[in-house]
Amino acid sequence: MGKFVVIGERIHCISPTIRKAMEEQDPEPILKRAKEQLDAGATYLDVNIGPAESNGEDLMKWAVQLLQQNFDNVPLSLDTANQKAIEAGISVYNRAKGKPIVNSADAGDRITNVDLAAANDAIVIALCSKAGVPADNDERMVYCQELLERGMEQGMDPEDMWFDPLFLVVKGMQDKQKDILEFIGQLRDMGFNSTGGLSNCSNGMPKEIRPIMDSAMVAMAMQMGLTSAIVNPNDQRLMETIKSCDVIKNETLYADSYLQI
Amino acid sequence: MPLKKTPQVFSASIDTVTIGTGEKAVTLGGANVMPLYAFDAPIENKPALGLELSDAGYNAELPKLADFYAGAETLADQAKRAAALDGVDFVTITLNAADPTGENRSIEDCVAECKSVCETIDLPVAIQGCGNIEKDEQLFDALAEALQGENVLLLSAREENYKSIAAAAGLAYGQKLGAESAVDINLAKQLNVLITQLGVQPTSMVMNLGSAASGYGFEYVASTMDRVKSAALAQNDAMLQMPVVTPVADDAWSVKESIASEEDFPEWGPVEERGVQMEISTAAACLASGSDAVILRHPDSVATISALIAGLM
Repeated sequence: MGKFVVIGERIHCISPTIRKAMEEQDPEPILKRAKEQLDAGATYLDVNIGPAESNGEDLMKWAVQLLQQNFDNVPLSLDTANQKAIEAGISVYNRAKGKPIVNSADAGDRITNVDLAAANDAIVIALCSKAGVPADNDERMVYCQELLERGMEQGMDPEDMWFDPLFLVVKGMQDKQKDILEFIGQLRDMGFNSTGGLSNCSNGMPKEIRPIMDSAMVAMAMQMGLTSAIVNPNDQRLMETIKSCDVIKNETLYADSYLQI
Repeated sequence: MPLKKTPQVFSASIDTVTIGTGEKAVTLGGANVMPLYAFDAPIENKPALGLELSDAGYNAELPKLADFYAGAETLADQAKRAAALDGVDFVTITLNAADPTGENRSIEDCVAECKSVCETIDLPVAIQGCGNIEKDEQLFDALAEALQGENVLLLSAREENYKSIAAAAGLAYGQKLGAESAVDINLAKQLNVLITQLGVQPTSMVMNLGSAASGYGFEYVASTMDRVKSAALAQNDAMLQMPVVTPVADDAWSVKESIASEEDFPEWGPVEERGVQMEISTAAACLASGSDAVILRHPDSVATISALIAGLM
């Protein structure tokens, strides 16, 4: 399956610094966060501009060009509810280092994002849910098939559909965690790529606990076949765990300095 | 059912590294297919051949070798012969006489001799040390400075002495540098990481992954090179994409088959033929495993290996 793909999540309009930078189209804070994430080992960067109903198209174009021009055409995941903004972003996107990712589609209202990815030869993150949290893995699998069918009807390569099992918070949904891991195993057995907002598992936990919980989750999920995750690459413990798991899975050759590369 | 040919072409490729200057400069690497798989995609730079000279002289007891160098007294004269031989892409000087446990030639003498070779021939020059860690470090530092502008390949920096050699060859004086490990994939990668962390560009480096004469544990060499090439191409591992240069001569000409006298083993035939056969079989195996250049000692080996490469490309 290849090395684990880390999608850096820190360019997100929920952060006040980033929101302000996006409002003012101020490059510095965005470039700083991009560099921090790439230095830490991110492959893709997620660009979340929020709903961006009024100026989404201009904003996404600006962000895509800013990041790709400054970081050697870094591949990006375009993250907004505004479909036109995603299309606008793709229209200026350079594919030299990887296809753009449409973040994201689900089996409900947002299934049209599969169409958008198909029409633009992009990767799509496909959430195996419809409205709310799926009750069990049977339900997840139904949504997975719906999404897959939709993509294949339009000629998508299944490799470009990265299925999201929907990571759930441990605090409160502890009994569901094993299901998620097993579902990742089912995706792997079918040969599919997978990704997701992994740090959701540690939501609500004390700050010092979260890296530990996220690291345990990523290690167990990688063993089940998870191929990617949307995470904070500046979480050192998490990145050390991912790099170590890649070595153990023989996806990259060990060298004493493996944590530094 | 008709055969459907599926070329195995990788999106990653081996780095290209150029040694020497001018028209005769040689570029190593660049392939995006498995070693010698020219049927999958064209291989732009064919594997290169180096002919090895020693500052301690050639083995005059081998009649054909003695004949080839007859009358060439100095290393520069021998280099001229080597450079004129068909199939030779670069000339290698091995500074055996610098070894402190042997003749212990001075740094100045070694530098002067290498300089005279570079001035005499227009083929690229690679220089191998004497194998003594401290002496090689001093030698390479001095050679890197003295041969500025020649773009020579210095073989090699090892774990114990890479810092100063990398600084002199790779950073200060713009030469090319070999990173040597002894048939150990993890160390090979680690040494490349350490050297690039000093600021040396991957395109200024080659790898000497180590070798063995065929029949003498060569399966370890084959599996090491195989793993390195698959990491470089299939996993796009930038720390293993440097071209591989393998000095074959020393291993091939040190084993029993290449040195036992004909008097002791009359059924084995002439020593020189046996040595050439060891050198050819080792070099061919190295090329099949992933060497982007091999260094040979005997003109007959060069003839056979260059014909092999020409036939496959």
